[in-house]
Amino acid sequence: MIRGWRLLPCALLLAACGGTGSRPSLTIAINAGVEGDALKAAANEWAAHNSTRLEIVELPYANLFEKELLDLTSRTGAYDVIMMDDPWFPRLVENGSLAPLERQPDADFLTSCLDVCREPYRTGTYYALPYVGNSQLFFYRKDLFDRYGLAEPATWDDVLNAARKIGAAEKMYGYVMRAAPGNAAVTDFMPLYWAFGAEVFDASGRPALATTEAFDSLRFMLELGKYSPPGYTGFNADEVSAHLLQSTAAMSINWPAWIAAMDDPARSKAVGKIAFAQMPSARRKGVAELGAWLLAIPAASKNRERAANFLFWATEAAQLKQAALRGNPPTRRSVFLDPALRARFRSFPAQLASLETARPRPRTPHWNEIENAFGLYLSRANAGSVSPEEAMRRAEREIAAIVQRGK
Amino acid sequence: MTRSLQRTWPGVPWVAPAIALLLALSIYPLLYAIQVSFTGRAGEFTFSHYVRLTQDKLFLQALGQTLLYTAVALAIEFVLGFALALLVDSLPRGRGFFRAGLLAPMLLPPVVVAVIWRLIYNPQFGVLNGTLRAMGFNPDALTWTSGESSAMASVILVDIWEWTPFLFLLLSAGLQAIPQEPLEAARMDGASSWQIFRDILLPLLKPVILLAILLRAMDLMRIFDQIFILTQGGPGFATETISLYIYRTAFRFFNFGYAAAMSFLGLALTIVFARWLMRLMKVER
Repeated sequence: MIRGWRLLPCALLLAACGGTGSRPSLTIAINAGVEGDALKAAANEWAAHNSTRLEIVELPYANLFEKELLDLTSRTGAYDVIMMDDPWFPRLVENGSLAPLERQPDADFLTSCLDVCREPYRTGTYYALPYVGNSQLFFYRKDLFDRYGLAEPATWDDVLNAARKIGAAEKMYGYVMRAAPGNAAVTDFMPLYWAFGAEVFDASGRPALATTEAFDSLRFMLELGKYSPPGYTGFNADEVSAHLLQSTAAMSINWPAWIAAMDDPARSKAVGKIAFAQMPSARRKGVAELGAWLLAIPAASKNRERAANFLFWATEAAQLKQAALRGNPPTRRSVFLDPALRARFRSFPAQLASLETARPRPRTPHWNEIENAFGLYLSRANAGSVSPEEAMRRAEREIAAIVQRGK
Repeated sequence: MTRSLQRTWPGVPWVAPAIALLLALSIYPLLYAIQVSFTGRAGEFTFSHYVRLTQDKLFLQALGQTLLYTAVALAIEFVLGFALALLVDSLPRGRGFFRAGLLAPMLLPPVVVAVIWRLIYNPQFGVLNGTLRAMGFNPDALTWTSGESSAMASVILVDIWEWTPFLFLLLSAGLQAIPQEPLEAARMDGASSWQIFRDILLPLLKPVILLAILLRAMDLMRIFDQIFILTQGGPGFATETISLYIYRTAFRFFNFGYAAAMSFLGLALTIVFARWLMRLMKVER
């Protein structure tokens, strides 16, 4: 009997270890923000149905990439599912760090969102599934356009004319953009850059920023800057949206995440007055920049099968509809066409049209560094310390050096 | 076993955990970082990161801006901190109240300070331009952190606001520790306030002054959080410092070798400066 009592703690310990070990687990790295909130809710629901011990590692945008890359390169297998911004994909997929998907995604996903989940881009194996269908929209004050007899801006010249007219007649800025160095400046510039026919790399993969098209597009950006609030060279998304919300600017490029705020009376002085259009055209048809959030499985994950089950479940139409209700733009056509959602979100038709043609940032593992160099010179040109031509030439030299170092 | 070893040996187990901790947390990472700074992308031994340091114009600009930031902020913080310390020290009463009040900015986390000032500096919605507007001025040209020419001055102003109290605190403590006898003797001999300050206070305070400058300068040379939140190094490259540049290189571009090489150059500069100041302190003793 005594011997039996002595064995009890050992038995309890073994039972506890056995209990913990036998219960399946799943660790997910997510972005701390609206995109991550929806995924967190979905993951909790999935874990409850599947008796899975769930661990969510929620990280701010600035830290998420570095944590994920460190985990992937050191192959620690700390995460079973990772959430990533689509420009990170080429870097994270390198050296077999991500597990290829064993099932093909269905055709309901929008092609632009699926293409960025493949390596090589558009043609290769699938390593991720798209969870959030973000692409830029052109926000403009419909009430003011109507008041001054202006049609929805179809070209960048229309934008400039409207900025002049509204800026002169109203106590507000005609246009607002962000030109803080790095991601901010590049993100707002890319639709203009592409519309003028410029590209970051030529067909052979060499940097091609010192071209007439590139110079013209930057000159046009500076022209738009004349109708932007002073200090826009330090603006990020917050400042741009603050101007729209406070009714102190008439137009901007912005992301769907801000749509809800524009129609929220507690935050906006322009409720119901802002309309959402496609990117204006110039020498080429205007296209938006894609900013999709993807879900992928690290190759070193010890729970790959479970992670894959979650991945496919979380991106089913029913789940993406729930995510849309929580504020995430979907990545499936059927969800965009859902009548209940269309009745609730007036911007859905514009979002779908934008996503269908959206372009991703150039697919290179060095995009973070390239974007930083490009954005630095864009910001300096906007601040007036270098000419547009000099900014583009210097950016091209910097990018060429980055590409060379990366070889 | 020699006598000294015999004497030392019994103490070894007691200090061993601390030494092991120091080796694991300080010495090993330092040696590893040195190794990384000499390692290329393919894992080969290379001097290329150090060669690149001499050719990287952006790094040299960031280094120059860091030194400018350090020199200007340190000079103003020192003058203001010293003036405040002398002023509060001369008050007949209420010294404790003023000391507590003046220390408030320093007690706030730098990140909170930066967020507050980012809101204050906002050209359209910030309280600074809002106040000027309410007073009838047109502050549209005052873009503070968004202007290439005003950004550096704006971020330095935030540092001065937050860290002048640190110098005030050290110098105030130094003033209180000065014996009163030489001061009273000088007054009896008819010395002017300026003569007392120059010939008695300043020499007696010199060790504290040098220590305060050393601590603050080392902190200023690695400035990161305030600038990261206020300007992210912009507009353009106007407020980029070496800490920011190193952070981006390491954690945005994942070039740890080059980031380590830059860190060691920064460390070397700080050591040279610190040793120069410490030598001055020794000379004074």
